[in-house]
Amino acid sequence: MAVDISLIIGGPQGGGIESAGQVAVRALALKGYDVYGVREYHSNIIGAHSYFNLRARDKVSRSVKLPVDAVVALDAESILTHMDDVKEGGILVYDEAAKAVKIDRIAPMARPLKQRIKAKLESMGYEASAAGALSYLSEVKKVKLVGIQIKSIVKQVAEETRRPLVSVSRAANTIGVATAFALLGVEAEKVMKAIEMFFAGKRRVIEPNIVAVRHAYKLVEENYGLADPLPDGPFKGRTRIVGTGNDFVAMGKVAGGLTVQTYYPITPAADEALYMEGHRLAQLTKEAAERLGMAKAPVIVFQTEDEISAINMAIGAALAGARASTTTSGPGLSLMNEAISMAVMMEVPVVITVWQRAGPSTGMATRVGQQDLLHSIFSGHGDAPKIVLASGDHEEAFYDAIKTLNWAEEYQTPVIHLLDKTIASSIKTLDPFDVSNVRISRGRFLTTASNDYVRYKLSDDGISPRAPVGVAKQLNTSLEHLEDGVATEDPVVREQMIEKRMKKMEKVLKDLPMEDKAVLHGDPDAKITILSWGSTKGPILDAMEALEAKGIRVNFLQVRLLSPFPAREVADVLAGSEKIISIEANAMDQLASIVKMYTGLDVHHRIRKVNGRTIHEHEVYNAILKVLETGSPLEVMRDGV
Amino acid sequence: MASRAKSWVEYRTPNWVQWCPGCGNYGILTAIYKAFAELGLDPARTVLVSGIGCSSRTPYYVNVSGVHTIHGRPIPVATGIKLANPELTVVVTSGDGDLLGIGAGHFVAVGRRNIDITIIMHDNAVYGLTKGQAGPTLPAWIQTKALTAPNIQDAVNPLLLAIASGFTFIARGYAYHTDKLKELIKAAIKHPGTALVDVLQPCPTYNNIMTAKWYEERIYYLDEEEPDYDPYINKPEDFKEKMPAILAKAVEWGDRIPLGIIMIDKTKEPFQRRLEKLVPGYLDMPPAKRPIDVDGKPIIDLLATFKDRVIET
Ligand SMILES: Cc1ncc(C[n+]2csc(CCOP(=O)(O)OP(=O)(O)O)c2C)c(N)n1
Ligand code: SF4
Ligand SMILES: [Mg+2]
Repeated sequence: MAVDISLIIGGPQGGGIESAGQVAVRALALKGYDVYGVREYHSNIIGAHSYFNLRARDKVSRSVKLPVDAVVALDAESILTHMDDVKEGGILVYDEAAKAVKIDRIAPMARPLKQRIKAKLESMGYEASAAGALSYLSEVKKVKLVGIQIKSIVKQVAEETRRPLVSVSRAANTIGVATAFALLGVEAEKVMKAIEMFFAGKRRVIEPNIVAVRHAYKLVEENYGLADPLPDGPFKGRTRIVGTGNDFVAMGKVAGGLTVQTYYPITPAADEALYMEGHRLAQLTKEAAERLGMAKAPVIVFQTEDEISAINMAIGAALAGARASTTTSGPGLSLMNEAISMAVMMEVPVVITVWQRAGPSTGMATRVGQQDLLHSIFSGHGDAPKIVLASGDHEEAFYDAIKTLNWAEEYQTPVIHLLDKTIASSIKTLDPFDVSNVRISRGRFLTTASNDYVRYKLSDDGISPRAPVGVAKQLNTSLEHLEDGVATEDPVVREQMIEKRMKKMEKVLKDLPMEDKAVLHGDPDAKITILSWGSTKGPILDAMEALEAKGIRVNFLQVRLLSPFPAREVADVLAGSEKIISIEANAMDQLASIVKMYTGLDVHHRIRKVNGRTIHEHEVYNAILKVLETGSPLEVMRDGV
Repeated sequence: MASRAKSWVEYRTPNWVQWCPGCGNYGILTAIYKAFAELGLDPARTVLVSGIGCSSRTPYYVNVSGVHTIHGRPIPVATGIKLANPELTVVVTSGDGDLLGIGAGHFVAVGRRNIDITIIMHDNAVYGLTKGQAGPTLPAWIQTKALTAPNIQDAVNPLLLAIASGFTFIARGYAYHTDKLKELIKAAIKHPGTALVDVLQPCPTYNNIMTAKWYEERIYYLDEEEPDYDPYINKPEDFKEKMPAILAKAVEWGDRIPLGIIMIDKTKEPFQRRLEKLVPGYLDMPPAKRPIDVDGKPIIDLLATFKDRVIET
């Protein structure tokens, strides 16, 4: 039988939940499964509820779903919050000590959530407390309740390892995860190896956690019986990588030759810069080291005073000839707008990585949203044509990070690499990236230039030879200009220069292969087409498989290039479709609007999600079914807490 | 930076200089020509970076590389250039509105870094290009020509702000005293950290209060009239000893306005050296110069560099 395990690990932020999730991902990867894990958390440092939703399969994992097989809930808030996330007959691992807690006593829990859960429990005659939820789960949902005495186990761990209680208290999360794994059929040794891997070298942490695992498995063995071990998955025995989208974009940029990254801290972008900074002396391949006579490639990652500075500094670095980028989220992109327009006018290659989060304004800073598509396309005042590329998943994010660096230099224009919180912070296992076919192209970059060099030489395709400041004397300007960069308001030259900048976009559309513009997934002859972009890709592909199993054939047009818009290619696909269904995590159906604007085509049904939570496989599946069955013009997906 | 001295005429460009007759910017421009000539700056390896304003037109008039950016942002752009290629001579020329109004955050931040760039502030106390509104250095209760009411915001003191922000070279000059100003600009460029030259610049069109006559009745040169004044902070202990006198000069304003070098702080490490400590190899292979490919192929060993994300299953 196919392996498809799903697991939620919940708990207070800052209490070890993050590492428990990381360990769980690695244990499942060591089983030879492909793992995908979403992190949901509050904009808070300590105390608010956060959780991992993990999925491991013997084929590619790319979405999560609800309900899950098991929930690990070591505090009352987690029990109550996730009581409906565990499937009928599933497993709930909880701390006995949490039982007595009444919902009204849980301070960090949001008022409306409390009210909803309370109403539900009370309507069924249960007390609004952890104990009430447990009765509900066992009586109504036939969930296997696995209560553990966390405190006493932690105490034993402390004694056995001769460490103070406080220093081993975080092992509680490990006990929870290990208990669930013992019941699911993941062997103890996998969890232990995962611990050694994740806490690499930190004996002080590793030892108590290993002892904790042993206790958890013993406890399960004695009280419930260990589950038969699951078969190892097909990824067993391979070299794999595990990381977040933030990590993979950082890797892509470094591989792609980035030498300057500026940033101002913002969720969910900062982790990309931090990961890169931690690897600022990249190691060269042996061949490259020999050819170039250097061993390390330095990358400068620099925290600026604000996002305005971040982009302007990246632009300065690019003017001097560095491959430069900055990373931010919606609020930062707002601040960067004026400089993006300057980069268009000055023809400066710069990549702006935009990790969308839920707005408007500060909105829900750690939550999911795809609300900056229009903002990105139309960023910058004046006619400011630029490239905007949206990645659909972790793997695309890596290769796109390299491509966007190339395009910025090839077309001498700002490029927005658009991603979102789902990709930023969710964890994915992948085969190692293969860069043997990756090219690094700097376009018409000059390393020497003659004395009569001018920066903005008119050309057929709008692209001028580009020598950096320092190589050739030149004028760069945010004002409209002559070929030599001298400011002008001449009407004839003005038109030529506007045309020059626009022509570059025509060239982009001409040059780029179809797979960088829009990808049609599934049966090209299907008459129902899902239209979407960005991180919805995984859940849509999984939902399509489930629909297919039901005999419903749909295809999925994933638009990647959003500016300049591949109108012809998109129209060609959509014209052959009888029903177009858009799926987006925004309230304005932003892609549908753009498609209408550029192709005149209407989307027939819109599926939205705006509650700030990740889009799950089952929601997409249900929403598409509903649309097809009822013909409803609008479906809203609402799952996730 | 320096090579042989040249004739200042070589630094002129054929572009029409579009300032009003009598504008103080002409004096500053001449001082820049002369300073660059005497330092023998290589036009291809020298960059003038400006924001937006009358003064920010300067790059079109000087025969070196120029970057005419947007309002308030020349400092971060200049910082990016210098960060990427520390071998270039980078000079910012911009207005008081640009640097201390819309761009004040960057002014503070650049001081904290002590990166080796020179900032020449064309300080006319008005927003010239937008037709004379109050600039951040216009004292309160003054009503210049274009204002419909007296200015009700106090002036910021550029010298004090520069000291507080960590600038390591702080000087004040006067636009029409081109030879004196030229010397200050030269010293600022030669200084290996962040340098400010605040240039009092009459704007005959909009600042009818702080005119050439107004300035010339008040300004005096420290090196001439107070030869004992010591602007040098050579070691940390000097702060305690010399700061009272330095601060007194920084705040002196009104009947007498001191010009010259106000402070030179030699205790702070330049940014490039700080970076080199963090990223060994930076100075040898700064971002603008380090190879990023071999024959169009990536050069990074991904598994070795990012081994913390590798799992052998
Ligand atoms: C974002 C933005 N806001 C406003 C302006 C309009 N503007 C142009 S120049 C200027 C003020 C210039 O004053 P200053 O920097 O002191 O230069 P000066 O003209 O006095 O030399 C302003 C507000 C602009 N160009 N950009
Ligand atoms: S408005 Fe003032 S600062 Fe601007 S050019 Fe005229 S005189 Fe000079
Ligand atoms: Mg001014």
